[in-house]
Amino acid sequence: MIFKIEDVTVYFPYDNIYPEQYEYMVELKRALDAKGHCLLEMPTGTGKTIALLSLITSYRLSRPDSPIKLVYCTRTVHEMEKTLGELKLLHDYQVRHLGTQAKILAIGLSSRKNLCVNTKVLAAENRDSVDAACRKRTASWVRALSTENPNVELCDYFENYEKAADNALLPPGVYTLEDLRAFGKNRGWCPYFLARHMVQFANVIVYSYQYLLDPKVAGIISKELQKESVVVFDEAHNIDNVCIEALSVSVRRVTLEGANRNLNKIRQEIDRFKATDAGRLRAEYNRLVEGLALRGDLSGSDQWLANPALPHDILKEAVPGNIRRAEHFVHVLRRLLQYLGVRLDTENVEKESPVSFVSSLNSQAGIEQKTLKFCYDRLQSLMLTLEITDTDEFLPIQTVCDFATLVGTYARGFSIIIEPYDERMPHIPDPILQLSCHDASLAIKPVFDRFQSVVITSGTLSPIDLYPRLLSFTPVVSRSFKMSMTRDCICPMVLTRGSDQLPVSTKFDMRSDPGVVRNYGKLLVEMVSIVPDGVVCFFVSYSYMDGIIATWNETGILKEIMQQKLVFIETQDVVETTLALDNYRRACDCGRGAVFFSVARGKVAEGIDFDRHYGRLVVMYGVPFQYTLSKILRARLEYLHDTFQIKEGDFLTFDALRQAAQCVGRVIRSKADYGMMIFADKRYSRHDKRSKLPGWILSHLRDAHLNLSTDMAIHIAREFLRKMAQPYDKAGTMGRKTLLTQEDLEKMAETGVQDMAY
Amino acid sequence: MAGGQVEKRVKYKSSVKDPGTPGFLRIREGMLLFVPNDPKSDSKLKVLTQNIKSQKNTKEGSNKPPWLNLTNKLGKSHIFEFENYPDMHACRDFITKALAKCEEEPNKSAVSTSSEQLSIKELELRFKLLRENSELQRLHKQFVESKVLTEDEFWATRKKLLGKDSIRKSKQQVGLKSMMVSGIKPSTDGRTNRVTFNLTPEIIFQIFAEKPAVRQAFINYVPSKMTEKDFWTKYFRAEYLYSTKNTAVAAAEAAEDEELAVFLKPDEILARETRQKIRRVDPTLDMEADQGDDYTHLMDHGIQRDGTMDVVEPQNDQFKRSLLQDLNRHAAVVLEGRSIDVESEDTRIVAEALTRVKQVSKADGETTKDANLERLERMSRLAGMEDLQAPQNFPLAPLSIKDPRDYFESQQGNVLNVPRGAKGLKRNVHEAYGLLKESILEIRATGLSDPLIRPEVSFEVFSSLTRTISTAKNIIGKNPRESFLDRLPKSTKDEVLHVSPTFSSVLSDKKLYMY
Repeated sequence: MIFKIEDVTVYFPYDNIYPEQYEYMVELKRALDAKGHCLLEMPTGTGKTIALLSLITSYRLSRPDSPIKLVYCTRTVHEMEKTLGELKLLHDYQVRHLGTQAKILAIGLSSRKNLCVNTKVLAAENRDSVDAACRKRTASWVRALSTENPNVELCDYFENYEKAADNALLPPGVYTLEDLRAFGKNRGWCPYFLARHMVQFANVIVYSYQYLLDPKVAGIISKELQKESVVVFDEAHNIDNVCIEALSVSVRRVTLEGANRNLNKIRQEIDRFKATDAGRLRAEYNRLVEGLALRGDLSGSDQWLANPALPHDILKEAVPGNIRRAEHFVHVLRRLLQYLGVRLDTENVEKESPVSFVSSLNSQAGIEQKTLKFCYDRLQSLMLTLEITDTDEFLPIQTVCDFATLVGTYARGFSIIIEPYDERMPHIPDPILQLSCHDASLAIKPVFDRFQSVVITSGTLSPIDLYPRLLSFTPVVSRSFKMSMTRDCICPMVLTRGSDQLPVSTKFDMRSDPGVVRNYGKLLVEMVSIVPDGVVCFFVSYSYMDGIIATWNETGILKEIMQQKLVFIETQDVVETTLALDNYRRACDCGRGAVFFSVARGKVAEGIDFDRHYGRLVVMYGVPFQYTLSKILRARLEYLHDTFQIKEGDFLTFDALRQAAQCVGRVIRSKADYGMMIFADKRYSRHDKRSKLPGWILSHLRDAHLNLSTDMAIHIAREFLRKMAQPYDKAGTMGRKTLLTQEDLEKMAETGVQDMAY
Repeated sequence: MAGGQVEKRVKYKSSVKDPGTPGFLRIREGMLLFVPNDPKSDSKLKVLTQNIKSQKNTKEGSNKPPWLNLTNKLGKSHIFEFENYPDMHACRDFITKALAKCEEEPNKSAVSTSSEQLSIKELELRFKLLRENSELQRLHKQFVESKVLTEDEFWATRKKLLGKDSIRKSKQQVGLKSMMVSGIKPSTDGRTNRVTFNLTPEIIFQIFAEKPAVRQAFINYVPSKMTEKDFWTKYFRAEYLYSTKNTAVAAAEAAEDEELAVFLKPDEILARETRQKIRRVDPTLDMEADQGDDYTHLMDHGIQRDGTMDVVEPQNDQFKRSLLQDLNRHAAVVLEGRSIDVESEDTRIVAEALTRVKQVSKADGETTKDANLERLERMSRLAGMEDLQAPQNFPLAPLSIKDPRDYFESQQGNVLNVPRGAKGLKRNVHEAYGLLKESILEIRATGLSDPLIRPEVSFEVFSSLTRTISTAKNIIGKNPRESFLDRLPKSTKDEVLHVSPTFSSVLSDKKLYMY
């Protein structure tokens, strides 16, 4: 359908639209007009992504003189694929109605591992070795060498791409990763470098958060994006965690050992160069004297990860004199490693601010703050000079230099915590020195400063006023949308008691109680026998899930479950989990369906949808609190309290409930869909906990469903499923329109939006 | 077979618990004779070979005495305990041969005198058909039990049903049970530490399907290196080691015994298959791609111990395998279903067939691009939001299951509009009756001719019948239960309901005259 929002003609690829989608677009358009940032919460299952995409692309079409670029950030690669899938649909529609002027170039961007088509490079096991294998074939000095020595192996795809030079362009269209690979294979061009090259021309770029938030990656990929871009962070409820993670580094014993080995290797290389090509080291020295940390004209294939500190914090100064010489730099690093080794030997937990850490480093190892700050740049320069391609081997020393640079750059918002072992496993010594960032606003600040509009959106941003504080920005629009319901297609319930009427909870003192474990099991046994197709269960942690499944296996509960449905489980092995999910979907497509056991805060909870028949019921076992005794968490809570006056308990509950809401929100995708959500813990019945759930869940949580036992829940589930299986009127009844047609919109435009059917 | 007869010293038991009566077992072609040592004992037994349905025997090497269990067609079983295994085998072989001979004979005779020699199978099939098909059952009751037809006459016309059904039955593939193999609990005798595992072909199949390494080991080792029994003993020993979760012991035992180590090591074939499969998963699920995109969690970057991710004890030990992995693997195999069509007791054949199937599917995955295309198509289909779109108009054929009575109601109007009215109707009925009567007389006189009844006559009869039913309903009116139709005998009514709507319309088109 085609309709107008104020002066923008919106092309929307469906015949109908939900009222909240329309409102969402209106708000979004206002934010774009104001060239400001916005914060929008809209329930899952209301077509956020398509509303967003179609408004922004239409906005671009309506302002041909100042074309905006859309940078769409997703959390995961599969969400990226999904977004591009929806964009494809939209693009087809717009081209059909507008002809070629609506054509855009949209690309997904990922790492070499996901884009490479060279089979020899792909044979490498993990991402880091793929990166290294690629560099081995594409680095500028390797290619220079190959002109003399024909035995040096190069990558044909990269060579072809280089040969095509500026002619290597992607024709307009929407490219998923698969499409990029297919195109690259077809033309013989390297898809990875092609995609990176096309970033500056593309109208829509879809990539992962860290390509914008993590300075290491953003420094290379997102450097050249223009200010007139709209940045969207989708599913952004965890954005604060991504931000602080991007600036955190830790050092373990293995890191130090590896770094020492790396230094030996570097030392050898330096000696070799001294003997054969001393001029090169001298040239590097001269360059550093002149104040250029890095050559400005690095070819794409030579670049690796950028400086871990944020761009505006990097000093544009000459590298200090004491580390200009390669040998001296190696000595400094050795002293640093030694110092870190001593600190790791501690018996107690130590917590320190970066300032005191740097000063004690200065007094004991004689390394100044400024030297630390330049560690990263100096190492990068040295590795380029020494022509090191196997970057994966040199990760440990890289880590140590990242750490040094960060600790030298930031005085506040960070703390250093040294732990001799993990709190939860005191019997296994595993010393770790962590530099952890507490301030989420640090990493995202350059993004807010640089781009004209940043949209933060998700299904769960409650409480919505907390996010501007955590990320310290002022949104021009901040709204939370309700869901207009054609029928009550979600059914949340709070289960407080088991079949024996005893309370259930994952509270620390109750979680190992066999009665609770049995009650949880019985709940599932009953549920799988009445719920069709897919059932998803979330547990509070891996170890808890591991334990409870083992117990269920011993007591025969698992066998009873298996009589009804197949069982699939998320494990810590990503490959296995992916296959399990794939099988789970196939099992839901046919037969009696399946159960999927998963973990809140896990990879599945973060990004996999269990919509339609892939999930008719979610059971959230327990409240997914963080491990509150963690030193890092304590430090962060302290920081939040001091700087933002956010209370500890409030933050913990907020965090746990957003995870729970995230887990259960995965079942619903559109209003034609339906699903039940069971919060199985007595703590959910308390108002202070429950009220932190997003509004669209709360509005469906009836008072009668707040304190249920297993048998009551079963009864409600039966009724609900029977009701939902009936045909219904999609357009909504009783005067409340839940599906708008073109005419409705036109009428509304005349009378004003106030009439909106809510 | 000296003289076509075998004689062995045995103990005869009428049931498993029975201590047994010592005596001689004499087997001849065609019959089996047991003579007790004690002539006063009443357990003298004579069994005709053709009455033996099946025989079972205990496996050599198990700790049971050599028993031979014969089941006759009535379901009663006779157990003979032999003195040693060779004796039992000799007898078993003899009976097998005799049975084979018996089977050939009734097959031959079945053609000539089918009424007497019905194989049990066929009988069972007939019963099954009757059970499943209530219509047939009704007919059967009606005709056979009222002695209109004999049993054989009844079935003779329905040979097709019997034949087709038996084909269909063999094609239905049975899925796998969703019970875990690790759920097999050994039986213990309670006194010693000895445990006994009962392996059925079903279980073996499942083990082979879930653990390709075990399958491969079986092909490699049995029987060249060890017997099948030794193989399974080792396997369960390994399983036991897993269940104790004592990795140190497992490692030590594996170091000593390389065959045992095969079971304890991670499954390499499985790992290879996994790598194959991961390339074909739905991209909207592919979390592995995610990991490849994540530079925040580059070694030691990101936050390690903030309590969001919990720690599990390091799993790098190669002798550790988690229950979760087993569960996933098991469910995947069940989902895949029974991929081979081999129903064999021979474990080796099963193992080899499975390996072949796996290789074929692997080759498929490498060559066809169709899977990839289909994957993308599915993705684009999923991208849309179903309820925002206009309902997709799939080419649907309207289901036209109607109550045939409606036809008569629809004819009502026609009937009432006919100028002839009720009087005309009556005359019409008489006319039709007259015509029919004439034809019947004709048949009596001349016998059956090619069109049984002339088309004009049948048309007249049908249309008058239709009219009668339609109008009668109109006249009787108020009480819908009681219509003209219901007054007809049940079978006639059914026939009319079935036939008239189609026939009449065809007839009125006068097309029938052509045939």
